[in-house]
Amino acid sequence: MGQGKSQFTEEELQDYEDLTYFTKKEVLFAHQKFKALAPEKVGHNKNAKLPMAKILQYPELRVNPFRDRICKVFSSSNDGDCTFEDFLDMMSVFSEMAPKAVKAEHAFRIFDFDGDDMIGVSDLREVIERLCGPDLKLSDSEIQQLVQNVLEEADLDDDGALSFAEFEHIIDKSSDFCNSFRIRL
Amino acid sequence: MENELEEIERPPSVRRTFTLRHSAARQVAVNFMPSRQLSFNTLRLRRTNSEHNALLEDAVAAPDEVDADKRAELIVREMEQHQRLMENNPEAEELRREALRDLPQGLTMKRNVRAKLSASVSLRSRQRPISCFKRLKYRISFAFKRLQDRFRDFTFSIELWYKAIRNIEGHFGSAVGSYFYFLRWLFALDLILCVLLVAFVVVPQAMYTSDRNTTLDRGFVDIIAGKGAFEDSILFYGHYESGDVSGSGPPYYMSFAYFFTMMCLYLMFFGVLCYRTADSYRRNFIETSDGLSHLFANKVFCGWDFNIVTAQAAALNARSIYNEFKELLNERNKNNQSTYFWTRMVRCFTNIAVTVLVLGTIAALEYGLWQLLATEPSLPRWELVISLVLCAVLAVLPIIFGIIVRLEYYAPRTALYVTLARTWLLDIGTLLLLLVYWSHSDLPCWETALGQETYRLVLLDTLISLFLLPLIEFCRALLYKLNPKCSPPEFNVAYNSLTIIYNQTVLWFGMIFSPLLVVAVTLKFLMLFYVKRECARRACQPARKVWRAAQTQTVFYMLVTLSLFAALFGLGSLFLRSSSRSCGPFRSYEQVYGVVTEGVLQLPSRPTLKAALAFLTRPGVVGSLMLALCVSVYYMRARARAQQCMVRMLRQMLLLQAKDKDFLLAAIAKVSNGG
Repeated sequence: MGQGKSQFTEEELQDYEDLTYFTKKEVLFAHQKFKALAPEKVGHNKNAKLPMAKILQYPELRVNPFRDRICKVFSSSNDGDCTFEDFLDMMSVFSEMAPKAVKAEHAFRIFDFDGDDMIGVSDLREVIERLCGPDLKLSDSEIQQLVQNVLEEADLDDDGALSFAEFEHIIDKSSDFCNSFRIRL
Repeated sequence: MENELEEIERPPSVRRTFTLRHSAARQVAVNFMPSRQLSFNTLRLRRTNSEHNALLEDAVAAPDEVDADKRAELIVREMEQHQRLMENNPEAEELRREALRDLPQGLTMKRNVRAKLSASVSLRSRQRPISCFKRLKYRISFAFKRLQDRFRDFTFSIELWYKAIRNIEGHFGSAVGSYFYFLRWLFALDLILCVLLVAFVVVPQAMYTSDRNTTLDRGFVDIIAGKGAFEDSILFYGHYESGDVSGSGPPYYMSFAYFFTMMCLYLMFFGVLCYRTADSYRRNFIETSDGLSHLFANKVFCGWDFNIVTAQAAALNARSIYNEFKELLNERNKNNQSTYFWTRMVRCFTNIAVTVLVLGTIAALEYGLWQLLATEPSLPRWELVISLVLCAVLAVLPIIFGIIVRLEYYAPRTALYVTLARTWLLDIGTLLLLLVYWSHSDLPCWETALGQETYRLVLLDTLISLFLLPLIEFCRALLYKLNPKCSPPEFNVAYNSLTIIYNQTVLWFGMIFSPLLVVAVTLKFLMLFYVKRECARRACQPARKVWRAAQTQTVFYMLVTLSLFAALFGLGSLFLRSSSRSCGPFRSYEQVYGVVTEGVLQLPSRPTLKAALAFLTRPGVVGSLMLALCVSVYYMRARARAQQCMVRMLRQMLLLQAKDKDFLLAAIAKVSNGG
């Protein structure tokens, strides 16, 4: 962790410690990991903006079915390209220290593919299709049935889509969410 | 009006296709509702700013920076409404820091908000001089916070096996990872136990006896059996002095050291375990339990394990989710046909019969063990034979229980819990039986005998769990490699966790009779980690079924705590009353608690204190204390019930409100369309 130290001043680290769920050492460790994605570029400019394809080289993201959504949600330019700060943000939300509410908020945005602030039928279909991977396909009626069941369970106000409050209610009652929605640094 | 009512009463399937609900006008109307404007909790606050207002106001495409600035402004404006956040004192500053950290925005936005916020705070600052006491309070809380941060920093840099566990988690998912976290946690616990026990009990005694060196032949079998020269060594209870062991210098009474170290350690770890278990239980069982079950929604939103790294594990995860979806749908379709009364009766009957059978087996085993212990030794190493049999039974029976439970009709998770409970019952029953047997035997020093027994159990189990089981797993892996058609070996989280729990239970029972047992168990856990890691990496395949770890993990913690409770119960009721008078650190007292009553408090020479204590321990007083406890538990339970009712009512109200809103919006739409 020693060589990363030279790239940050003490104030910057304190700043990151204040605004994320990481301690200073963890921030430096995160930077090392970021740097490993594109050593020469980040070595030159510690907050360099890496294209989405580079960010997706990160091991946990590489196999994640929602990888592009994750990048888009955390990218400050909204196109999936991430600076170190965006990356730090991502890792902070996925870290163990982040509370459930914050995780739920970002999960909601990741699953909200069309960005209408509701998880509608099309979003649910997309989530289910992505979960089953590229090789296995559920039939259309099966997906339809699944979506119907999800809505029956969780759509409290019967408007055919999950609002954030409804989504958060599901997450609140799930004991496994915090375990699964987590990436260790 | 009737017309509109009808419209609202339409079946949901029709209503879902109602397109107006997604129209922009509707969204605007919703956003103007008071509940969206008022921020009564921070979460709502964050959302109103981040999404809805932005949605309202940036209909015209604004340049990015202006937009961001505007959004920051909005967030600040919302925050300003919270009086507690905006005060100009360190406490509010801390609150602001936390609120900022919980803001679901990028770092740039957070910085922007922070700058605006601090400007706003200093603008309206009416800094009152704070009292000396408050300043002290702030300073202390600050120092504490900083200490916490530094501590986290420190633990991060010394975190044991960080990379190793992360690696395994990436390959096998978080369930197998959680096994290793559990193992690491117990290892750390035992390490602390080890250091304290060795420092306060073992080292003083060893220093005292180092001068009277005994040179006896130490055979290999003696090492395993804990007999011969080892019988009277610092390994076991009987060896410890009861008087001053310091030799020269200030006195160090072994009986006090032994008693208080053990007492403190047991109680301290009981506290830690209770806290950890209760915390885990609250998070995974209480907070997540309510009438609604989100079976499908949970699978969809919490199905993917974000820890996974390898393509193979990802493919397996996808496949298992796919299968689960299919199963769920099948079950849902099947559920529509009601199960017959007789089928249910037969199932219930089978479950009861098997449970009786298993309990009978356990009881028979315990009886057989008692008989075995009571028979006259016919072989030269009789005690070793008993231990071997015991070890084999304890290793094999859980596997048989796991097979038997498949005959019964339980849901997979219940089946797991049932197996766990049965295995745990077997372990605890055996250890309690040993305790009872030895404490009633007429040996001059039964504590040492029991210490030897637990020592042998730990040592022989090492043979099984460190060599035999890994060997079997590697063999299976080899078999799988030669013939990929047979089932691949998977990492059995439940069985492996039970092994650790068993070892820990033996430690709880044997620690007081064999202080160095804790060192053995700690070392064993250390080796177990490396062996299991190699097993997992080289021999095992990722599981084909998703294993939801959170609740099971809680059950494991609960079992460890219950074991400690059982150990404390057994020791408290047997050891404290009938310790032998010819050996060990308490030989000069009638009973073990004499250390406190005679040794520390010196009751015989203080009649008033004695009378007071005698009064306090009278059945009437203890009984009324128990009664008070019961009453308070009942009161808490009643309150919890009332709150549950309240939650149900509030949920109903939420539903009704949503329906009202729907109704009104529909009405508005109708009016505005000129209908």
